[in-house]
Amino acid sequence: MSLSSVAQPARVHCPPLDTRYQVETPEGIDLLLRPAGLVPRALAFAIDLAIRGLALLLLFVVLGLLGQFGMGLASILLFLLTWWYMVLFEVFNQGRSPGKQLLGLRVVHDDGTPVGWAASLTRNLLRFVDILPFAYTLGILSCLNHPAFKRLGDIAAGTLVVYRDTLPARPNLPQAEALRAPFALSLSEQRALLGFAERAEQLSSARRAELAAILAEPLQVPAEQAEQRLHGIARGLLGPT
Amino acid sequence: MRLTDASVAIRPRSAWEALDLGVLLARRHAGLLMASWALLTLPLFALLCLLLWEHPGWAIFAFWWLKPAYERLPLYILSHALFGDTPSLGQAFKALPGLLKPQLLASLTWRRLSPTRSFDLPVLQLEGLAGPARSQRLVVLGQRDAGGATWLTVVGMHLEMALWLGLISLFYLLLPQQIELDWSWQSLANAAAGEWLWLEHLSNLLYALLLIVWEPVYVACGFTLYLNRRTALEAWDIELVFRQLRQRLTGVAYALLLGFGLVLLQAPTAAMAAGASSCPLPQEDPHGPQAARLLKQPLSSQAARHSIEQLLDAPPFENRETVTLWRFGEAATAEDPSADSLKGLIEKFLKLAEFWKSLDAVALFFEALLWATLFALVALLVWRYRDWLATFTGRLGLPQRRAHLPPSQLFGLEVAPQSLPEDVAGEVERLWTEQPRAALGLLYRALLSRLLHDYRLPLKDSHTEAEVLRLVQGLDRHELSAFSQLLTRHWQNLAYGHRLPPEDLRHALCDDWRRLSAAGGRG
Repeated sequence: MSLSSVAQPARVHCPPLDTRYQVETPEGIDLLLRPAGLVPRALAFAIDLAIRGLALLLLFVVLGLLGQFGMGLASILLFLLTWWYMVLFEVFNQGRSPGKQLLGLRVVHDDGTPVGWAASLTRNLLRFVDILPFAYTLGILSCLNHPAFKRLGDIAAGTLVVYRDTLPARPNLPQAEALRAPFALSLSEQRALLGFAERAEQLSSARRAELAAILAEPLQVPAEQAEQRLHGIARGLLGPT
Repeated sequence: MRLTDASVAIRPRSAWEALDLGVLLARRHAGLLMASWALLTLPLFALLCLLLWEHPGWAIFAFWWLKPAYERLPLYILSHALFGDTPSLGQAFKALPGLLKPQLLASLTWRRLSPTRSFDLPVLQLEGLAGPARSQRLVVLGQRDAGGATWLTVVGMHLEMALWLGLISLFYLLLPQQIELDWSWQSLANAAAGEWLWLEHLSNLLYALLLIVWEPVYVACGFTLYLNRRTALEAWDIELVFRQLRQRLTGVAYALLLGFGLVLLQAPTAAMAAGASSCPLPQEDPHGPQAARLLKQPLSSQAARHSIEQLLDAPPFENRETVTLWRFGEAATAEDPSADSLKGLIEKFLKLAEFWKSLDAVALFFEALLWATLFALVALLVWRYRDWLATFTGRLGLPQRRAHLPPSQLFGLEVAPQSLPEDVAGEVERLWTEQPRAALGLLYRALLSRLLHDYRLPLKDSHTEAEVLRLVQGLDRHELSAFSQLLTRHWQNLAYGHRLPPEDLRHALCDDWRRLSAAGGRG
């Protein structure tokens, strides 16, 4: 394939691009946050917009029956829905408005702590800067240009929209007799071995054999048995379940 | 293609995160991508405009329809830049004719409206497959992440629209007011008639300009989706780690062989052999870590575990508390919703609505209540922050309306006019010989009193005599100021230095005082 067609020595060395964002806690632990980019955020916003539109339509139809009192109530609710919908959901629902919840997003401070009143108010009031000159032009450009995909309101409030961490599912390893690895393994190597066993079903058998053959020599087994041996080591790493 | 050279972190991601990585990738090479896109599309756009000057709608349609053809250039740049081999602008344009050849017709016809266009393009352009193999490959790759690609296209369409509207409104906002254009919507709607052609071409140009920003991102997002799919299908991340592991282990093996050779050369001793075998691998315990151990010593493993559990069960590891609360009993209202009751409910609701309509007084009441709440809130806020407000207005230098009451005492001297005799000069002359201190003191008090009450000097208890003199000089009255200086000097000499004033001063001072008080009375 032409991906492999060119290899030239002139290379600029910079750290590999990644969408992860590291926050170091005072205890020296690195928290990994995954900031969410323009596309899921735009979709979440569209969902929220639709929900608000529907709610307002319903409100006006129902409260329209009540005459002047109803219209007064409706305008109060209109105010609440426009200015406080995002803020209240973000503060009371762990940084998730319904749209963000559906897309698996949440809002946090830059240091990963839950978003508070001040930050949430700032980022949602400054939405009106992002809208300028029309239809979120500034917000889109800022989101595309920021390494952590922040719009102007996020920059001002010091907040971040991140993907929520989902609970990891119990790994489903292929049957094999648990073995101890014949050599010491670093954490990333252990993870790769476990990943090889967990993702075995998604890989074609030829690809599995090819991957296992890479480690056949250090395992001191013929290439055909390497895959089974790797599964055994993965089971040994996983421990009794 | 060497995975170790990849300039992005390779790991399986969700489709959304793969899109985000595309944004970052486009951002890293933004200059090159945008320049190449502009150089490719803007001349073409100008050409289309000239050819179809009478039909701006068709011009922009043709420009839009040809988008897949331009997208091959950014993909070429990105696919090379991914492995650290970023081409220059010239190299990219040299490669362009070769890029356009395969599958151009398909891209511009039946694949043009495919929502997964960005995701399919890498397969067409980079894998070089043909016929059934290609379509099979597309099906396999499209099993996952195709949803992400579709959403990318949908969102992209709306983003293009949003950016286009934004640019148009920016343009409109920047129109100077001097240009008195009669831009009612009616005339804009009639614009197609003829003389507004240039305006339509201008809005088309804005579209071409915004594509410079968005299209590289779109292509990059499709490319990273494709990379992500292949990472998941072929476990690229695992291959990377396996290769590094193999390199490490085989390298270690060579080192061990070498070391073993050296040991052999040195004629191994028994100690060395013992050292080599002194660290055996731990044997599997048949009973597992829970089994009882260390049974032949005072603290057996069971006793240790028992005391550990006791420790962990007490504070600070485990804090137990009992909370007693009153709660309402379970609500025992069971409703059976049926069609009849629902109908009745709606009727009741409508009746209620009519009732409320007649009661607009309720609305009035609530209005009054809301206004009252607002005023109460404002009042509460002002009261809460009264000190802050006072400080703030003080700093602004607003005029303070505090009544300035002259003090009745200064440096321990009575200065109220009531405390002075009617004829100060006469009293001074009378006291001068027997009690010179009282005489001068009386005169000085009288001076201060006059300064305070007639000349309204803002004297304070904290002022010194010299400061009072300076204030008097500020009044710009030479006679008064000379008299004050003379009197103050002699008063200080007497009060602090116990030096009596000369005798001839008596008349001078008393006359001056009389003249001054007469002048003060006149003025």
